[in-house]
Amino acid sequence: MTIPYDAVNTKSSRKFELQAEYAPEDFHDHLFELEHEGEWIVQRVPEPYVEVMTKFGRKKKIPLEMTWHHKSCGQCGHIPGYSTAIFWLNRKLNFKYIDPTDQTSCTAWNYYASATSNAAAQASVGMRNFAAAYETGYFPIIHCGTSYGHYKEVREQLMHHAELRHQVRDVMKKLGKPMVMPEEIVHYSEWIHAVRDRIAALQTRDFSKIAVTVHPACHYYKLVQEDAIYDPDIYGGQRTATVSATVMAVGAEVRDYSTWFDCCGFGFRHILVQRDFTRSFATRRKIEVMKEEANPDVVITHDTGCVTTLDKSQFVGQAHGLNVGVPVMSDAQFAALAMGAHPYRVCQLHWHSTEYRPLLEKMGIDHEKAWAEFQEDLKQLKSGEKQYLTWEDVDA
Amino acid sequence: MASDTVLIIGGGPAGLEAARLLGDLGQKAILVEKRDALGGTPIAEHYAALTHNFRDAEEAMNELIAAAKANPTVDFRLGSEVVECSGAAGDFQVKIVRSGNGTGETVNVGSIVVATGFQHFDPGRETQMYGYYEYDDVITLADAEKMLKEHKFVTPSKGTPPQRVCFIQCVGSRDRQIGNEYCSKVCCGISSKQAIEIRQQVPDAKVFIFYIDMRMYGYWENEIYWPAQEQYHVQYVKGIITEIIRKGDRLVVRGEDTTMGRPMEVPMDVVVLAVGMEPSRGTKDVAKILGLKQNKYKFIEVPHDMLDPTATSAPGIFVAGAAAGPKDLDDTMAMAGAAAMKAAALVRKLARVSA
Repeated sequence: MTIPYDAVNTKSSRKFELQAEYAPEDFHDHLFELEHEGEWIVQRVPEPYVEVMTKFGRKKKIPLEMTWHHKSCGQCGHIPGYSTAIFWLNRKLNFKYIDPTDQTSCTAWNYYASATSNAAAQASVGMRNFAAAYETGYFPIIHCGTSYGHYKEVREQLMHHAELRHQVRDVMKKLGKPMVMPEEIVHYSEWIHAVRDRIAALQTRDFSKIAVTVHPACHYYKLVQEDAIYDPDIYGGQRTATVSATVMAVGAEVRDYSTWFDCCGFGFRHILVQRDFTRSFATRRKIEVMKEEANPDVVITHDTGCVTTLDKSQFVGQAHGLNVGVPVMSDAQFAALAMGAHPYRVCQLHWHSTEYRPLLEKMGIDHEKAWAEFQEDLKQLKSGEKQYLTWEDVDA
Repeated sequence: MASDTVLIIGGGPAGLEAARLLGDLGQKAILVEKRDALGGTPIAEHYAALTHNFRDAEEAMNELIAAAKANPTVDFRLGSEVVECSGAAGDFQVKIVRSGNGTGETVNVGSIVVATGFQHFDPGRETQMYGYYEYDDVITLADAEKMLKEHKFVTPSKGTPPQRVCFIQCVGSRDRQIGNEYCSKVCCGISSKQAIEIRQQVPDAKVFIFYIDMRMYGYWENEIYWPAQEQYHVQYVKGIITEIIRKGDRLVVRGEDTTMGRPMEVPMDVVVLAVGMEPSRGTKDVAKILGLKQNKYKFIEVPHDMLDPTATSAPGIFVAGAAAGPKDLDDTMAMAGAAAMKAAALVRKLARVSA
């Protein structure tokens, strides 16, 4: 299989050399110092883990298993195949994980969109979730890009402000929870990045004819940016390698487009107070540009807001005759499809609004057959024969 | 016994001026320069003309080099580095190693002038949205200087004269996000100077400068800023550039025109990033070797700043030029004079005391 690397090669004759000396101070010294002083417990990344390179060269530990899945409000609510695909991948790779039921929203959307809430409340919400993970013995892994970015900012605040730590400690005391900070804050797409070769080894579908444009999520690599994964061989180390490396690992073609740096349009505040702006930005500045410059079969991204905005905004664009019509999904769904996942039972693409069936055909998936199988599932649910689908149903 | 020799570290404008003045005083001095040639950044990075008087950089630096070398009391060690230092004011033991063959010697000096300068901010480390490592037609001020010096200012990817050129100010400066909150002081003047030179060399090119606010100190206002607009029709646009993308075979600069209060998209052939100053590798290394305090940006800290701008945290060690923070040439040369004077005064005073 030939993987077309051209899009991720730098187009310039210049070569960027990593400059580790400019890296912000590694927060771990401070993290462990606070543990030594009794301020909190640092939950260690469980073994086995994979070390990946971050923006300035620091190695970040990504746990393979024993993961506590901090889910995303928007994923579970609107694109449920996203989180199901993550769990499906864990199962197929034989990794132990927990899908907890006592996790709360991180509440960062309010924080970023309208500056409601306050630092102590935000930090307490995060620390309660970390404590809940710690109590299970599993390590938190964050599905949502915003929760991930936000928790990293919370970590910074807590490390540097004793007063805030004390306020949060009082809250934790009332809740009867310990003060716990994970050794690393890990996004699920980093886990996929870390296991991408294992995914490729179990691949059952040929993706060599699939052209992909990648939208890197702002809250993944623009918040506490030194913590995001970079690779000198991917975009010359000038863009995050997460997602692109995964797409390459399963043999699909990454195609480049000029507005890669732009937000998907969600924009947090915009989706709440200027939705028209979000819709037009998503279609005109992202999807239309991708179509015009790269003509991809699918857009792959790694955050809730990005999948939702890029996908569902196209419905409006279609109504106005714009050059849209590219399916959008997460790296988790894409990887699961590569490994043979069911497009409806696992990836639940019927929740996505842009026409995805031609893509499935190109992937060699008989979507009519798959849909008929899914309809049979629904009949069983409707008749009361089953209350919900199980993992056994999914792999039937 | 106090040494009667001053050590100058760095052979750029500040080091050369210190050497010239110490030589004129008949003071014994040793100048150590890591590169194999004197002249510092203006020579190494092929500056075209100096800001603000448009004097040919090579000619001006050669004049300074000749003046510094004219005095027999100054000993020049090129291709050499300071690797160790011990002792105190009046009696420093400094180990100097030749870069090529690794041979070393230890010299005894009474005082030291650090003139190790700056390096340009690398736009690949941050500000990746400007695409310096993605598009050859995105260049830096230093890249532009080289082309202007050769009188061949072209669109790099095509080799032809550009029709539209713009400068983006404050790249790597005044940026809290990346930790460089300071103004690099010279970029506004250099961009305006280069804009004039581009208009002189490529008269058909339209030239734009996108800025947060232009910081044209003192006479730069009348010497560069107004002539750029009135004689050379350089267009200054107040606004923040958010990204540079490619459209076809051209670049498109996107941002906000804050005067007009609206977004803008402007096609360009060449984009020049006005990269700011950061301490050079040599400045950071020498600070450690000499045990000098550095500020949060890793420039050498000047404890008393305004009233004693060449003092460092170590008695007997003085600093001149951009090793102490962003400096224009005027300030650099003035600092070099002051540092040379203080370094010479110290060894002479100690000589008198010990006599």
